Parts: sequence; structure tokens; C-alpha cells
Amino acid sequence: MLQKNRLKALAAGAAMSLVLYPATASAWSLEEAAEPYAGTTIDVVFLLRPGYEAAKEMIPEFEEKTGITVNVTDMPYENALGEQVRDFVAGGDLDIALIDLVWIGNFAENEWIVPAEKFMNDPELADPELDLEDFFPLTLDAFGSWDGRVYGLPFDNYSGLLFYNSCMLEEAGFDGPPETWGELKDEYGPSLTQDGQHAFALQSKRNETQSADSFARMIWPFGGSFLDEEFRSNLTSEESLTGLEFRQDLMQYMPEGIVAYDHAEAVNALAQGDVAMITEWSSFYPTLANPETSAIVDCLGVAPEPEGPAGRKPALGGFSLAVASQADEEEQAAAWLFIQWITSKENAKQYLDLGGVPARQSVYEMEGVAEEHPFVPALVESWQEGVPEFRPRFAEWPQITEIVQEWGTRMMLGEVSVEEGASEISERMEAVLEEAGYYDGDKPLLQ
Amino acid sequence: MQKLRQETQGFGQAVPPAQSAELIHTNTISRGTKFGFLGPAVISLAVIGLAPLAFAIWTSLYNYNLTKLASMRFIGLANYANVFSDSAFWQAMGRTFTLLIIALPVQIAVGMGIALLLHRPGIGFLKTITRLSLVIPMATTYAVVGLLGQVMFNLKYGVVNQLLGFTGVSPINWLGVPEFAFATIIFWDIWQWTPFCALVFLAGLTTVPPEVEEAARLETKNWWTILRNVQLPFLIPGLTAVLILRTADTLKQFDMVFTMTRGGPGSSTELISLLIQRVGFRAFDQGLASAQAMVLLVITIVLSRLYIRFFYREV
Amino acid sequence: MGEGTTTRSSLFSQVLLLAAVILFCLFPFYWMVLTSLKTHLVALQTPPAWIFDVSFSNYSEVLFEDNVGRSLVNSLIVAVCTTILAIGLGAPAAYALARFEFKGKKELWFWFITNRMVSPIVLALPFFLIVRSLDMLDTHLVLILIYLTFNLPIVIWICTDQFRSIPREIDEAAILEGASQWRIFRSLCLPLAAPGIAVSAIFSFIFSWNELMYALVLTRNQAKTAPAMAVSFMEGYSLPYGKIMATSTLIVVPVIIFALIASKQLVRGLTMGAVK
Repeated sequence: MLQKNRLKALAAGAAMSLVLYPATASAWSLEEAAEPYAGTTIDVVFLLRPGYEAAKEMIPEFEEKTGITVNVTDMPYENALGEQVRDFVAGGDLDIALIDLVWIGNFAENEWIVPAEKFMNDPELADPELDLEDFFPLTLDAFGSWDGRVYGLPFDNYSGLLFYNSCMLEEAGFDGPPETWGELKDEYGPSLTQDGQHAFALQSKRNETQSADSFARMIWPFGGSFLDEEFRSNLTSEESLTGLEFRQDLMQYMPEGIVAYDHAEAVNALAQGDVAMITEWSSFYPTLANPETSAIVDCLGVAPEPEGPAGRKPALGGFSLAVASQADEEEQAAAWLFIQWITSKENAKQYLDLGGVPARQSVYEMEGVAEEHPFVPALVESWQEGVPEFRPRFAEWPQITEIVQEWGTRMMLGEVSVEEGASEISERMEAVLEEAGYYDGDKPLLQ
Repeated sequence: MQKLRQETQGFGQAVPPAQSAELIHTNTISRGTKFGFLGPAVISLAVIGLAPLAFAIWTSLYNYNLTKLASMRFIGLANYANVFSDSAFWQAMGRTFTLLIIALPVQIAVGMGIALLLHRPGIGFLKTITRLSLVIPMATTYAVVGLLGQVMFNLKYGVVNQLLGFTGVSPINWLGVPEFAFATIIFWDIWQWTPFCALVFLAGLTTVPPEVEEAARLETKNWWTILRNVQLPFLIPGLTAVLILRTADTLKQFDMVFTMTRGGPGSSTELISLLIQRVGFRAFDQGLASAQAMVLLVITIVLSRLYIRFFYREV
Repeated sequence: MGEGTTTRSSLFSQVLLLAAVILFCLFPFYWMVLTSLKTHLVALQTPPAWIFDVSFSNYSEVLFEDNVGRSLVNSLIVAVCTTILAIGLGAPAAYALARFEFKGKKELWFWFITNRMVSPIVLALPFFLIVRSLDMLDTHLVLILIYLTFNLPIVIWICTDQFRSIPREIDEAAILEGASQWRIFRSLCLPLAAPGIAVSAIFSFIFSWNELMYALVLTRNQAKTAPAMAVSFMEGYSLPYGKIMATSTLIVVPVIIFALIASKQLVRGLTMGAVK
């Protein structure tokens, strides 16, 4: 509920800024706004993922219109946080921060990123068409905002979806994907696991994939969560343990060595017809629908993630772009213009067609989009409701995710029992939170 | 060992250290000259090597998190206490030494076998090719070895399982099962460094004076007797080098494992360098990582001291 | 197994053993090159293909689109410069350690050698923080300097032995003729120590070329070396095996050619640090 109020305040603030400058608004154009900044170079870190490839194809147009140069450094996800933290600590070159939703607390608390209102309130820089309310509220809140302030605009946006091989399902006598996790395990699991094929693959490699795609995905639908209201661990609660036990039980229908599966392995297992279902990020749709990388193009089905006893709590992930405080005034302005442009309503369709996943509601309402991009209905449904703190987004997450990754995989490997693993994580997680000052009232309980 | 060492020295008399000349020599060299020769190297290594070390010692006494520099504070030896009580640290240390203890004897034994094989006369052409082939593993970039491991040991696309399949073995999940992943790391370590051992020993074997070796061969046909009594003394220096370098390099081992398994699955291949990297660069707890690094450094220094004292004559 | 009476069967078993050794050493290399010539789909075939339509697209992609060419140049610059610097600083020091007597010499030698043992992870972050305060991140110079921490010990280790193996009588004679220490070192001993210098240079070059951790931490764009580049293709989002193996091949082939050419010296050098 808190989230909703926060969002209203955000939207109101944005609206205010537009109301204040109605006269200049009408005359605004990117070319004019960028004029003072022609020749500026802005540095940004990109990942090796489809959304970034799409953006890279669009950048030349921006550069031509503005005379601003966008200098992109490609990087695997697993290096991107460390690289950016070191750059910000060092006062380096980056002018734009690429923020995974779990990094935002960290970046905001360190004041490495500039609140967007600085630019939204500047009539020279703010595009009157910015329209923050057009972003799915969940994405703007989770990917771009911290403590009631907008920092970043949602750029590379994901929801977890259920991708399935409809041919395999049909053969086994199912006319659609499972509605609930229970069904998936108890009905689909046994029928689809045979002859070297498996019903399901849950990427669980010991990196952020373990925390986000495997661990968190299993606790939320069963009513579990990382933290309770006092920020004590909720992992040893009955609900959380049920979810983790469920995951353990589900492993019998997954390929051997699932703890070594990262996204690529899971997607490929589905693409090669080795598994019948995976829960993966929406951004994998193009990979699975492309005959060059997938052998199941004609059998590919997409649905929202199954529901648990606590409802549908699909995995939530995504990146926003924010202006870095270490940039000088000119670079900041240029960076803002780029962020605003690449995430704009106007460009959303092009971004989508090139393989990106925009968070603009308007683009998904356009005619024909759902037919061109068959994953859209499931995505839109998933974004209606979700948990922004699917993984806590505070500054302590980098430390906590390491703990979850270690004990989460050890749990799956059977080196420790689910209860032991959960209490190990709890103990260590609380030590980190204690150290950070959440328990003696030094720090507001934000996640 | 003591006896062997004396024998080595005995054989090594070909170049005797000129003790008497040294005394005359020493008196004539000014401090300035000595400094001129040594100074640049000492100063540069001190600046480059010691300055970061001092900095690391300093951070190890602080609660020093890269993402929370604002709340940095002095905490004395708390990080060290954490290291000593942290089972993860000692498990990683244990894995590192397990790797050393399993891989090194294999490398030495097989390396010795290859060296002896190459040392025998005959089929010179094939032996030249073998010698050249031995250079390849040790020159291969360590990170590439790990990447190659991902490709070759992959459960589905890997050639290793395909080859095993020809012999009737069903596919093994090399990188997905903890024990197998550790075995894969041992395999690559052996692949990369057995040739190194072989070349070192081969070089040692060629230093045996031919007449000594031939005389021994007239007396016995037993290759083991010859190896033990005649050749081994000449191999001791090389063996020492192998021990020191392999120990140090195993404690440093990072690249290959990082690129192949990143320490996984679970923690099964998380060697000590990977653990410290994770704490310092991923959890950003630089204070703790520095303390861990210091403990590792002390262990390294003690070990190399022991080795050098044990095997080396003084400088 | 008598040496003198090489029977046909023992010859045969020798050939077999040698062939096994060669295969063991070369097969991974062969597989790397083979995989680098596969397109994305071929590289992900089960079971892996041994015969297929060779494609060089991975090479053109990594060289022309992904800046691997530039990272190879960076690697070359760094490796060559640090090697020259290590020899320039290390050879005189090795000479002093071999020839002069002074207090604490043993300790000094040990300290030099210990630097070779130190795990880069110990120094990487402090070095990063120092370098950023000097505003020198992502420059060749930083890598050239920090690589001295492992190259200088190698040079000193090997060259000290080399200098020691040169008879002192040569120095003595020159001193009687009034030559300065520096001249003795430069004109007499250095040329005689050429094999040792060459060996330590080869080692420095190979170690620097292959280094990963410092390169990962201290460079981003401008000075990124080839191993750091290869690692950056490892994204969990796809399995670009062909591309990674093409990059790997580009990294490994130059250093292997170099090592093969220098293999004579290399083998001799392997014992040099140890033979005393």
C-alpha cells in the first residue's frame, strides 16, 4: 500500500513540473534542447543482452539529432555492478548509471545518482511528453525509485514468464500450461519427465540468478518473503520454508546439475526440446522465437508464471537509467536528454521492434502489438501487480545476495537441509542488517 | 634429504663460488655503487608492491565497505577475528590445499615419466615434436584454459562426454556436480603443469654428466636404481623450483577457475583467491577481504620461507 | 627395460607413449581452434560436430565488431613495456645480489622472490584505490608498472643465478685494469648473461600476456587487455562458444608461437632459477 501512495506523490510531482512551465513546453524539441551540449560525450555501461543491442541500433539517430556522443562499454551482468561501483567510488567517467532494481538503494544512498526532478523541473531539458504516468507504475517504482523519489527511468524491463513447449505438453495430454505451481509439480512434472526429457528447468547458478530466478521466485508465491516488518529474517517462516521445500521437491523434474544452469542453459534446454517449461525473463522471447537459436519456434508458448497459494508473484527484474552525480553539469544535461529519449513514449515501439522491452503502457495498447509480439499479453498481466521488494533493493543487497547465493545452492545440492540453509542465511543476513543500523533505528526500514 | 643435498652440491662443483675473491671484491665497492645497482629495483618494487600492501593492512583494521564509505570506522582486529572464525575461509583454504596435494604428486610423477622417456636415445624426430608440444599447455593463457573447460566439459555440447561415450561411459555432468567440478579443475591443473614439470626434469636430466650416467649403466640395468642414485641429485634443484612455484601458483590460482566455474556449483570449487575476490569485489566488504588477503599472504610467506630454507643454499 | 637392447616391442610402446603425450597436450588446443570455426548453431550441436562447414564469421565478428584487435594491441604494448622495464631494473639488481656483499642481502633476495608468490587479489583493490586517486585508471602505464610485481622477481631470480655462473675472475681482471663496476656489468657480464636475460624476458612476456585479474580491475576501455576481453563475452544470456573460442585462439596463438620459437631458451631457463 505504501508503494501506491508513494507513486501518487511521484506522479503528482511530475505533473506539477509540467504545469509550471506550460508556455515553454509547447516549443520544446530535442534538437533545440541539445544545442548547448553538442560535442559532449556521455559514458554508459551496457549489458550483452537484447535490449541493449536494440538501444545501440537507435543511438546513431540520437547522436545525429543532438551532436552528443554516447560512449557505450559492454559488460556481462556479473561484472556490471562492481565496475560501476568502482567507477563511482573512483570519480570515474560514467555519466549514466545503469541500475538493476536491486542496486537502486545502494546507488541512491551513496548519492551516486541524481534525482530526476532536477531535470524534470528544468524546462530547457524536460520533454513535455515525458509522461511518467505512462510507465507501468510497478516498473517506475521498482526499477527507478527509492525512498519516494524517482532517480531512473525504466529502460530494460523484465517480468518472469512461463515459456513452454506446447507440442510436448499436448503430447502428454495437456491442453495448456499449468495455472499453479502445485499443478506444475504434481501433474506436469511426472508426465513430462521421461526419456531424458524433463518437465522443468529452474536456472539456479550461484550468482544473481540463484537469488532472483530461483530462490526469490519460490518463496514469494508461497507467501514467504526475505524480511518481516521489523526487518528480521522471514526466511524461517513456515511460508518461506514451504516455498524452499517446494523447490527442493521440484528438482526431481529438472535436469541434473541444475545449480550450474544460468539463463543461457535454461533457455537453450527449452529451445532444444530437452525441457518442456522454463520460467524466464520476458526478454528471452526473441531468442526462443528465432529459428537460428531455437528448434521449437512453432511449439513456443508463453504464459504468466504459475500462481502459488499466495497468488501470482512473478519474478521481477529490470534496469533503469539515471544520471550520475559525478558527471559535470553539461554531461548531466546530455545524459538526461539521452535517458529521456531512449525511454520515451515516442521511441517505445521502435525499441520493442528491435528486441527491447519498453515499460510504456501506451505502446502495448497499440493495435497489432500483441500479435507481433506474442509475449505481450502475459507481460502486461504480470506487471499489473507485483512485489517491488521481490528482492530487497536496499544498499545491503550486494552483501545479502552473496549469502543467499552460497546457501541457496548448498541447499539445492543437499549439502545442508532447507531449514539449516534458511537459518544460516537468516543469521548472516541479520548480522549485515544489524551492522547497517536497521535495528537500532539509525536507518529507515526501506526495501 | 640432507644427504641428497650434499650430493647435489658435490656435483654442482663445476662452478665453485669464489669465496676468496669475494672478500677482496667486497672491500672495493662503495655503498653508492651498490645502491646504484640495487636502488632502482628496490625502490620501484617498494612503491608498487609495498604501498598497496600498507594500504591493505590499514583497510583490514576498518569496517571498510566500498558502497558504504560514509560509515567507515576503525574496528581493530575484528576483521581478523572474523577470518579465523569463518568456516568459509578455511574451507576455501582447504580446497586450495586439496588441489595442491592431489595435483602436484601427479604432475611430478607423470612429468618425471615423460622426462625419462624423452631422455632415452632414439626416435629423435618424434621426441622433438613431443618437446615442442609440451610447451603449449604451459604457455596457454590461464583464463583461456578455463573458457576451454566450459566448452569441452559441457554436459551436452562437450567433446569430453562424447569421447567417453565412445567407450560406453554415460555422460557425466562435469561442471554441474560438485565433486566432478573439482575433479575437472584438478584435471586442467594437471594438463597445464605436467608438461612444465616434464620440461624442468628433462633439463635436469641433461645436466647429468654423460660419463657418470654411462658408468652407472654398465653396473646396473635397473632404471629405478639409476634414477635414484645417479640422476635424482641433479633433479633436486628442478624439483625444488617446481614445489615452490606450484605451491605459490596454487595459492594464487584464480583465472582458470573463475572463467570455468566461478567457484561453483555451490562452493565446491571456490579456492581461496576466488573467495577473497567475492568478498572484496562482489560484497564490497573490503575490510574483511583485506584481512583475508593478509592471512593468505602470511601463509604464503611462511610456506615459501620453509621451502627455501629447506631446499636452498643461502644466497 | 634395458636402454641398450631396444627391442621392437619397447620401441613400439615408446612411440605409443609419446603419441599419447602429444595428443594430451595438443587436443584441447585443437578443439579450441575447431570450435572457433563453428557458427553459433554448429557450436551448440549435440553431440559436438567434428566435420562441418568452416566459418570464419566468429573471427571477423570479434576483430571488427568487438574490438578484440585493439585489446591484442594493448596486451602487446603492456607485455613488451613491462618486460623491458623488468629487465632494465632487475638485471643490475641481480648482478649486485650475485656479486656484492652487504648486510641484509639474504633478506633482500627473499623479499624480491616473495613478491612473485603474492596473490594478485591481495594487491588488486588497494592498487585500484591508489591508482584512481592518481587519476590513472584504464591506462597502459598502470598495468606496465603493476606487472613488475611478478616480473621483477622472475628476472632477479633467474639472472642472479646466471650472473653467479659467470666466473668472477673476469671481474677481477677488469678491476685490476681500473674498470668501473658499471662498465664491468655492462660490457663484460651483461653480454655473458644474455641467455639468462633472454629466458627471464620470455617468462615476463608470457606471464604479462596471460595476466587477468589486474587487467579486470584496473582497465575498462582504453587499456583493456585481451584476456579481460575474452572474459567479458561470458554473459549468462547466451552461450557464444564460437566467439569465445575465436577470441581465445587469437590470444593464445601469438604467445604459443613465441614460446615455440623460444622453446630452447625456455627449457634451459626452467632450471636456471633452481640450479645453484
